[in-house]
Amino acid sequence: MTLPGGANALNGVLLEARHISKRFSGLQAVGGANGLSFSVDRGAFVGLIGPNGAGKSTTFDLMSGVQTSDTGSVLFNGHDITRSSTDTIAEKGIGRTFQTPRAFESLTVLQNVVAGATSPGESLRWAFGRSWRSHETATVEAAEAILRRVGLHERAAARVGDLSGGELRMLEVARQLVRDPTVLLLDEPTAGVHPGLQERLAQLLQDLHRDGVTLVVVEHNLHFLLALADHVLVLADGELLAQGPPADIRADPVVIAAYLGDGDVA
Amino acid sequence: MNWPQLLVTVLTLGSIFGVVTLSLNLQYARGGMINFGIVAYFAVGAYTYAIFTQPPPQGLDQYKFGFGWPWWAAVIVAGLAALVFAAVTGWPTLRLRGEYLALTTFAFAEVFHSVLLNERRIGNGTVGLARVERPFGDWGPIEEKYVFAGAAALLLVATLVVFRRLLVSPYGRALDAIRDDETAAMAAGKPAQQMRRQVFLISAVPVGFAGAVYAMFTTLAQPSLFTAEVTFIVWIALVLGGERSVYGVVLGTLGLVFFEEIVRAWPFETVRSAQIAAAVEHVVTGLVFIAVLRYQPFQAAATRLRASR
Amino acid sequence: MLLLQFFVSGVATGCFLILATIGFSLTRRVEGFLNIAHAELLGVSAFTTWWLNSHHGWHVLAAAVAAIAFTALVGLGIARVVYDPIRHREPAVLLITSTGVAFVIGGALHGLIGTGIRTLDIGLAQRYEAFGLRVTSHQLIVVGLAAAVSVSLAVFLNRTRTGLAIRAMAVNPELAASRGVNLSATSRATWLLSSGLAGLAGVMLAMLATLTTDLAFAQILQILAVAILAGLGSLYAVILSGLLVGVAMDVSAYWIPAGYRPLVAFAVVIVVLLFRPAGLAGTRSA
Repeated sequence: MTLPGGANALNGVLLEARHISKRFSGLQAVGGANGLSFSVDRGAFVGLIGPNGAGKSTTFDLMSGVQTSDTGSVLFNGHDITRSSTDTIAEKGIGRTFQTPRAFESLTVLQNVVAGATSPGESLRWAFGRSWRSHETATVEAAEAILRRVGLHERAAARVGDLSGGELRMLEVARQLVRDPTVLLLDEPTAGVHPGLQERLAQLLQDLHRDGVTLVVVEHNLHFLLALADHVLVLADGELLAQGPPADIRADPVVIAAYLGDGDVA
Repeated sequence: MNWPQLLVTVLTLGSIFGVVTLSLNLQYARGGMINFGIVAYFAVGAYTYAIFTQPPPQGLDQYKFGFGWPWWAAVIVAGLAALVFAAVTGWPTLRLRGEYLALTTFAFAEVFHSVLLNERRIGNGTVGLARVERPFGDWGPIEEKYVFAGAAALLLVATLVVFRRLLVSPYGRALDAIRDDETAAMAAGKPAQQMRRQVFLISAVPVGFAGAVYAMFTTLAQPSLFTAEVTFIVWIALVLGGERSVYGVVLGTLGLVFFEEIVRAWPFETVRSAQIAAAVEHVVTGLVFIAVLRYQPFQAAATRLRASR
Repeated sequence: MLLLQFFVSGVATGCFLILATIGFSLTRRVEGFLNIAHAELLGVSAFTTWWLNSHHGWHVLAAAVAAIAFTALVGLGIARVVYDPIRHREPAVLLITSTGVAFVIGGALHGLIGTGIRTLDIGLAQRYEAFGLRVTSHQLIVVGLAAAVSVSLAVFLNRTRTGLAIRAMAVNPELAASRGVNLSATSRATWLLSSGLAGLAGVMLAMLATLTTDLAFAQILQILAVAILAGLGSLYAVILSGLLVGVAMDVSAYWIPAGYRPLVAFAVVIVVLLFRPAGLAGTRSA
């Protein structure tokens, strides 16, 4: 589902949040007076930053169906996905990784990635037949190629429990990549990843961006993110504090003040 | 002590309950669902078989339904009935998790038990339906009870084959993913709730068949045969066998049934000593169950096996 | 009028259920799992009372006190030996383990007592009549005890150190520990209290019903109904739920055959779990 010609081929809003909000037992995690609104253009590389507790992961939850917004709507390609389930949204082409990396512990690294793809053999009808085997080979090859791309090829037969935190994150990314997503929501992809691997990740994200995949990345590592993103959204206390190109954001006194309270500027 | 008879009974009952335990295994170990009311599906199968094969009510019979169908048709209906029961009771409850699912399934089973006891028109009350048809006679030189054991074993093997087929396919892998981390699985496009429902329904069918075979074996369909105790026994068999491996499940069931039957068949001198033996068997089974749950020897063994490869 | 009579007996049933369920609810909130074996403790207490009373000629009150103390210790012992080592596992595993414990206790009771019906040696209940409604002295005792226990428990939980510790632990164990609450001592106290209450309910059972070894387990279904309806709520929620379920069960006899009484309890369980998994209390999620 990647677009030919890269990011500049088609303009237009791909993913949009309109006045979304979420309240947990009295605490307004996302929203504020008017709800949270922002849009992500097709092919853009958007960074989502903000101090701890700003509501970044919750925003991701609201956009990927893990939670449902109390108000407003989330639109993907013009379709309302506010109340859609996570699997429906995944099938539509929105991929997502989590703040704490998730994996399937009973499967090997390779199987994790293979499981990430939607194989025809996963439906009941096909499962009882035999023809899923031929599709399997293709899926396994695709999975191996992706493992090579994220640098986990050596660990293909390893068990999830043996992976380091950084490797788990790359595995999650790999699991989403095998689905060939249109949009990729990445939640703190560099957390716990050592600098060498971060290089690789940065390269990977740039390649994806060039291929036309729309990226929205939550990061605390501003050094990493501001060098890659072309647009940045700043969240604080669940509301949009500022947005703009990285250079502007870097210099914005309001943003700096919000972070100083947190002491987390990279 | 009639050993050949004992072994045949163990094989027959072990196969019948083995099917039920396998279904439970599918629901729990692969589907992540705790079904504490599985006896109800078993009872549905048994009673459906009885009702469909028995002749229409006459004279003093209190039940209202009897269709006199041939045994094989009734077995099929028994499986279908279990499926329908699972669909009806599963629809509202599968949204629940863990202990709450356990409780609701438990509650539904008790409701069903109550209905069987009270609705004489369906189940003939506490007396139950007797003279349930036993379809196999002697096959030439082979006595009926061996034929029967063979049929039960066949059902077990068939269930094993079908389940294994399902589990080694991508469907099975998706199930594992859902069980390991449902949110991540859904983020990878797996329709968790739908698949869980499917597993619940699919696994109900063999339990219905097993119920029918059980009714054939006992020639009786009576509420006292289908109490929560059956659910607990199947759970114990499941845990004993190690939950994960299907062969372990079958072995666990056979072992448990063997233990039970040997106590039951032992020629005790007084009724009281037989009672005590049965009680001791209960206590020992419960203790082993608790120990296995705590120490999980099979889990540990499996992990060690995997690590050493 | 008949309806009113059922209502009255329903209150008595409800009071019994309150006594039977408070302990269960307590361990649910403090220890975090549903202890199915709780119902079997009623049986332990009931039969210990019977054994001391009918078999050994003790006065029923002495037998009751001894039985309650014994049951409290048994409950504590089981908790220390079986549940504490696996406390870190998920609640579902503890639930399943507790069914194993119920199995063991049930088997032990069967082995020791055998089949048949037993009754306490306490003489027949007195019947009183007022405004056309009949109550028995036994029912009055149950109601009185339930009220007394509720009040004492409320005082205990609000005024004593152990009681407050229990409440703190029920809400948030980590927070309680950081405030100086001794978790393991409080846990022990909870088990003693909960099992003792089960013991009391067991004595009531022995008094109200004809004893068979299956009787105790049959109560688990009603206990679950009351506990689930009360959700993670306070003592008051349990009281309210107990009365509701008790009255519902008895009053339903007006319309449906008596054999379906337990069914009403299950219907409550199912309906509550489907529509309001948090029960009457409502605040915390399932």
